[in-house]
Amino acid sequence: MLEKFHVPIQDTIRVEISELRKTVKSIFIKLGLNEEDSVQATDTLVNADERGVDTHGVSNMLRIYVEQFSSGFYNVNPEWKIVRESPTTANIDCDGGLGLVLVPRAMDIAIEKAKETGIGAVTMSNGRHAGMMAYHAMKAIPNDMIGYAVTAGGQNMVPTFGAEPRLAANPHAWAIPAGNEPDFVLDISSSSVAANKIGLLRRLNEKILPGLMATEDGSPIMKEQEVPENTWLLPTGGTRELGSHKGYGLSAVAQIFGGILSSGSFGKYGQGKMSHFVSAYDISAFTDLDRFKKSMDEFLKYLRDTPTAPGQERVYYAGLPEHEEEIIRKEKGVPLHKEVIDWFDSITSEFNIDDLVIKSK
Amino acid sequence: MLEHFSVNSQDQVLVSKSKLFEVTLKILLAMRMPEADASLASDALIEADMRGCETHGVSNMLRNYVKAFRTGQINPNPKWKYIVNGKATATIDADKSHGLVICPKAMDIAIEKAKKYGIGAVTILNSTHAGMMAYHSMRALKHDMIGYAITGGGAVMVPTFGAIPRVGAVPHSWAVPTDKEPPFVLDISSSSIAANKIELLRRTGAKVLPGFLANEQGIPEMKPHSVPNTVNLLPWGSTRELGSHKGYGLAVVGQVFSGILSSGLFGVHPEKLGSQFVAAYSIDAFTEVQKFKRSMDEFLTYLKETPPAPSHDRVYYAGEIEHEEMENRTLNGIPLHFEVIEWFKMITKELKIPSIDLD
Repeated sequence: MLEKFHVPIQDTIRVEISELRKTVKSIFIKLGLNEEDSVQATDTLVNADERGVDTHGVSNMLRIYVEQFSSGFYNVNPEWKIVRESPTTANIDCDGGLGLVLVPRAMDIAIEKAKETGIGAVTMSNGRHAGMMAYHAMKAIPNDMIGYAVTAGGQNMVPTFGAEPRLAANPHAWAIPAGNEPDFVLDISSSSVAANKIGLLRRLNEKILPGLMATEDGSPIMKEQEVPENTWLLPTGGTRELGSHKGYGLSAVAQIFGGILSSGSFGKYGQGKMSHFVSAYDISAFTDLDRFKKSMDEFLKYLRDTPTAPGQERVYYAGLPEHEEEIIRKEKGVPLHKEVIDWFDSITSEFNIDDLVIKSK
Repeated sequence: MLEHFSVNSQDQVLVSKSKLFEVTLKILLAMRMPEADASLASDALIEADMRGCETHGVSNMLRNYVKAFRTGQINPNPKWKYIVNGKATATIDADKSHGLVICPKAMDIAIEKAKKYGIGAVTILNSTHAGMMAYHSMRALKHDMIGYAITGGGAVMVPTFGAIPRVGAVPHSWAVPTDKEPPFVLDISSSSIAANKIELLRRTGAKVLPGFLANEQGIPEMKPHSVPNTVNLLPWGSTRELGSHKGYGLAVVGQVFSGILSSGLFGVHPEKLGSQFVAAYSIDAFTEVQKFKRSMDEFLTYLKETPPAPSHDRVYYAGEIEHEEMENRTLNGIPLHFEVIEWFKMITKELKIPSIDLD
């Protein structure tokens, strides 16, 4: 994540990961999720905070989940079912269940299928928010498989040349196991900036950079300015010349694999309803596993050893910064904005559960 | 393709598909490819011209292929074989096949597997240039499947923050069938601009736009400039702020599925070998085919009917422009630059075959 999206140090309060997990799980239990689902939802959500993906962690997301379960839009006890199946594939109706819980289950199904045939893929309809997609893709890694996960739904991004949002910033995530190197984990939205980051920018009083958003009539904003009141996301690339059709196209691909393939959903299909797609590719069904991991290590080293351009200190590969951040946060705790701590205090008091324990200010 | 890259109308000659096919086939036969392979490769190559993807058509590629056959980089009579042949998966050693030939064959294998198991995927090693990836992904369409194709290899693009190129502009292509609408076909390089387009700019004399290339030190060029001698492509997104880590990441993913998964290939290979990955997803294995196709029509119609932003006439979806261009070129012929016609005259004379037949 870019530096400008980080919580300013003076507003930061650190919380131990184990304490964060304890409080988050108690909240899910209070919302009516059973023990097993609460554990899964907590693991998916807090993993984003562990890896430094603050946009998809507790700060932005947990209050939304509380609202949505309280209003009944998220189903606490979904009767999800497989509506179609083949040796490599399945189609699941999520029955309004939380993606944080059901997408990992679907990934387990994909992994089981991949053990049999080499590949497994599951498309999911009538889902709800699935959190950080990298979490789901990474489930393949301990199984020595490549994981892939997309989620789709909503409309906050304009198509290239369009004046009205007709699709969303649908992210794609790939997780690829390495040997000794940190695993390669790419998790990218198809918009110039993740929708969640707009809220973060408003909270941090930061300006938006050129090429990230469109005005109300769909024109790309090409100079630095305050976050406008009414704004749409632009596809990654910003303008057609710089490849916004690629972000637009990737968003449509995710909508097709998640929404169209599972149930024909797109566009205005119920505010907040999401569809997902996950798949697993068993490496040993293509090649020798040890050879693959050794090659991955060599490739990733080759990339991070690239000489740096002037003004840059290091070259990274996807997943490396998150891996390093995870090591820091496991030791020092997760930095949360004081406003988020206030929210935790109010919700724990409302739910009559133990306060979130603070590590340091 | 952007207008910026099109051939000026006064510099072009229109040639029919059949005539271009005829001369291309003869050239490939003269390279000692077997008839069936030469025919398949010609079809794949000219499909790029028909769709308006000049960068991957005869103008840019055929002369490179001729050179590659002559130096032995491409094997006209390969004995490709399975390294692995599993249920849904296979790994193929292409024995330096032309990529235009081995990719469609691998795609056919993936399709057969998908018929049986729902999905099929094939990774390919010891391969060569595979042309326009959309040709391969689109092979799945008539089987009511979603096709996916990637080609890896080379080092022409700088990683985000890097000073020298270490990854290829690895393209990913998806083709998705529809009912009545033209199919959704997305074929995107992971660089800000395809390497071939830079050569096209060199030929047309147009300027390089901001955000396409890095300078010699790896810094993104954010002002228009002329084509430099050393071309360092930038990842799609151009700068970290605009998302160049996404283009860089897509290039790595593509290289892993093609090169690392098949054989551990990355970076510059001394023999310039390439690698590919193709996959087919049977729609019937997930949902009812007709319902899916109708939903696709509705989705794509919804997208193209988005009200346009100021100063734009239309909103497109991926594959739509190419479909219209194909209809246009079927009717009017394929525009070729004079310089390309000259090359055809020169090479046909050299190979002692009939030259391109211009009316």
